[in-house]
Amino acid sequence: MAVHSGSGSSEKKSSNGVNELLAFNAENMQSNMKIIYYSRTFLSIIGGVVAGILGFTGLKGFVFYLLLMAFTSLGLVAKAKFSIHTYFDSWNRVLVDGFLGGLMSFVLFWTFAYDIAHIF
Amino acid sequence: MAEDLVLDTAIRDWVLIPLSVVMVLIGVLRYFVSKLMRSSQTPDAKIVREGQVMLRARNLRAGANFIPSKAFRARKIYYCNEENGLLFVPKGQAQNPQAQMFSDPNMAMDMMKKNLSMIIPQTLTFAWVNFFFSGFVAAKIPFPLTQRFRSMLQNGIDLSTVDVSYVSSRSWYFLNLFGLRGLFSLILGEENAVDDTQRMMQMGGGFGFDPSKGLSVEKDNLDITQHDWALPNFEQRAEDVLKKVIS
Repeated sequence: MAVHSGSGSSEKKSSNGVNELLAFNAENMQSNMKIIYYSRTFLSIIGGVVAGILGFTGLKGFVFYLLLMAFTSLGLVAKAKFSIHTYFDSWNRVLVDGFLGGLMSFVLFWTFAYDIAHIF
Repeated sequence: MAEDLVLDTAIRDWVLIPLSVVMVLIGVLRYFVSKLMRSSQTPDAKIVREGQVMLRARNLRAGANFIPSKAFRARKIYYCNEENGLLFVPKGQAQNPQAQMFSDPNMAMDMMKKNLSMIIPQTLTFAWVNFFFSGFVAAKIPFPLTQRFRSMLQNGIDLSTVDVSYVSSRSWYFLNLFGLRGLFSLILGEENAVDDTQRMMQMGGGFGFDPSKGLSVEKDNLDITQHDWALPNFEQRAEDVLKKVIS
C-alpha cells in the first residue's frame, strides 16, 4: 500500500546531527509522526484480520497485538537507521505512540474476522 | 467454552456487514458534507496580526540561544517595551479579541455546525440499530469479559446464562464506532480524520485558553527567558565539519 513505499522516501530529518544542539523542524517531525500513525493503524487492521482467521481467543490475541506493535517499532527503528534522535524527539514516540488507537481497530477487525470465520 | 453457540449465517449477512458498511459510508458522507459546508470566513485582520505577533515571539523564544546575546536583547526590548512594544496591550483592549471571538456569529455558527454534523448521524444510527437489530445475539467477541459488562454488552438479550462474549448488535455498533476511526484516517487522507471525541476535547482545551490571554502570556514568557549562548566554540565546530566535507 502507498504507506509502506511512502514511508521509505519521506522520513525526513527533523534535527541537525550536531551533538548537544537539538533543533527540531516541527513540520518534518509532524510528518514523521503521521507516518508512524499510519503504519501502526494499517498493521493493526491487517493483524486483526489475521488473528481472527487464525482463531486466537482471549489472551493469545492480545499477546499477538503486542507482538505486532513491537514488530512495528522494530521496523520503524530499523528504518531510521537506529539513530532515533535525528528523526524523532524521544523514544516514547516511536515505541508507544499509536498504541491505543491501533488497539481499537485491531479489536474491531479481530472480532469481525473471528466471527465470520468461526462462528458463522 | 461452556457452550458454543452456532449462529445463523443470515445474521452475518444482514447485520454485521451492513452495519459496518453503513457506518463507513456515513463517515465518508460526513466528511464530504463538512467539506462542502465549510463557510469561508474572512478572518479579522487585527486578530490575524496578533496571532502572527504571538508566533514570532514564540519563535524568538525557541531560537533564543542561537543568536548572539545583543541581538536577542534588542529583539526582546522590541517586543516587551512598556510603551510601544509589540506585545504590550493596554488593559482595556485586551478583552476584546476574546469577547469578539465568542460572540462572533460566524465562529459560533461554525462550531455549532461541526458539533451537529457529528452528533446527528451518530444518534440516528444508534436509534436505527436499536430499532431494527435488537433482541438477538449478533456477534461473539473473541476475548472473555467479566460479568459486570453483561448489562452493557448484552442489552437486548434477556437470558442470563449466555456467555458474556456473545454480544448484541448495540455493542457491535460501539465497537465499530471506535474501531473505524483508524480506518477513516487511512481512507480520507490526513486532514479531518473523523475523530469526534478527540477533536472535541482538543477544541475545548485549546480554544478557551489561547485567545483570551495570548499576548500577555507571551510577554511574560519572553520576559523570563534567559539567554544561554549555545554555540560557544562554533568556529571550531564549523572548522571540523568543513574538514570532514572537504576530505
